Amino acid sequence: MIEKKITVPNKLGIHARPAALIVRAAVEFDCDVWVESPADKVNAKSIMGVMTLAASGGTLITVSAQGDQEETAVETVVEVIRSGFGEEMI
Amino acid sequence: MQDRFIDPRIFSVGVMYDSLKKRLSLTCLTDSEGYNRMVVSPDINRPGLCLSGYTHKFMYDRIQIFGETEIILLGQLSDQERKSAIENIFNFPIVCIIITKDLKPPEDIISAAIESGTALFVSPLDTTPLIHDLTDFLGEVFAFHISLHGTLVDVYGEGLLVMGRSAIGKSEAVLGLVERGHRLVADDLVRVRKVGNSLLGSGDALIGFHMEIRGIGFVSISELFGVGATKEIQSVDLVVRLLDAGLVDEADRSGLEDKFMNILGIDVPMVEIPVLPGRNITLLLEVAAMMNIQAKDTGCSSAERLNRKLIARMGRKKLREEYDRKKDNSSE
Repeated sequence: MIEKKITVPNKLGIHARPAALIVRAAVEFDCDVWVESPADKVNAKSIMGVMTLAASGGTLITVSAQGDQEETAVETVVEVIRSGFGEEMI
Repeated sequence: MQDRFIDPRIFSVGVMYDSLKKRLSLTCLTDSEGYNRMVVSPDINRPGLCLSGYTHKFMYDRIQIFGETEIILLGQLSDQERKSAIENIFNFPIVCIIITKDLKPPEDIISAAIESGTALFVSPLDTTPLIHDLTDFLGEVFAFHISLHGTLVDVYGEGLLVMGRSAIGKSEAVLGLVERGHRLVADDLVRVRKVGNSLLGSGDALIGFHMEIRGIGFVSISELFGVGATKEIQSVDLVVRLLDAGLVDEADRSGLEDKFMNILGIDVPMVEIPVLPGRNITLLLEVAAMMNIQAKDTGCSSAERLNRKLIARMGRKKLREEYDRKKDNSSE
């Protein structure tokens, strides 16, 4: 089990488009991937789940994975979030 | 609206007469010799000036409309003048003549028309409505058009143009739609033409409502499912591209990205659906059509509305958190 913390860097937070980008990165891996906000922990491969987090810009979230390639999976998803989804940053 | 598109290459006076006989209540005063002349322009002409002697720039390659002005003018001329006026007109290979308001033309114009092999029609309609109706019709015949490889189907009144490489399952998916009560317009080859700001699609007259289903062969949809399962002409409102599963990561997950396909200069909304084993493509096509209708009714897509709600919730959450933090700080 690998865990990594990151702050949501874009202004609008994880709305539908960023959520889709996170899911698109996560489904590439066979292992289980999760995204966790202070309130909830959801499957990173479920777009509805990731959206339900309602993680606004500046929220500290945790990406975790378990299984094959868990390290790369976490790294990839964190990188997608760190990029700010190509949106306006905080 | 016409039943089916008329090919401008075979659009002769006879074809025009057949198509408009009912709509304009046309009667032919001459014989069928004039039917072979081709209609080559979507424009019409009032030949008043030509009758009065000014033949410079006479648009003889258009359909000539004789209204009250022309007929009264001819009536007021002396026999000699009328003879030369009629000569002025019939010296040119004019397309045909339509007289409006059931006006009675002078005898010598009818005989001149027969002699020169020009068709002469009479309609009871007033001049302006007739010109509008005729121009509409001619505009459709001569509109920009293109033939596309795809299947056009009417789903709840929404024209779905299903595209994708051959053998990906367009026809099977559309067959499913027909079985659910939607209407086939054209399979495999769709003729699309631009009329005003919209696109109208129709099939080829020869192919009719046949579909080619692999393993079964040609299926006549109108014979198997009845006339209710087919439609002659339908606007093209949404393009659905069926994609191979290999291209799946290109497909949109959220539905937030607006995609369009440009057809004859018009941007038609487009959705791309990856085809994977076990996916019910028919159902997905039906849903895509319903979403397009809903998007038009409400001005934005359901994905957009959901996203707005989400962003609003994040804003409220942030305010609440700030409030809680301040409260904690003050109580410490």
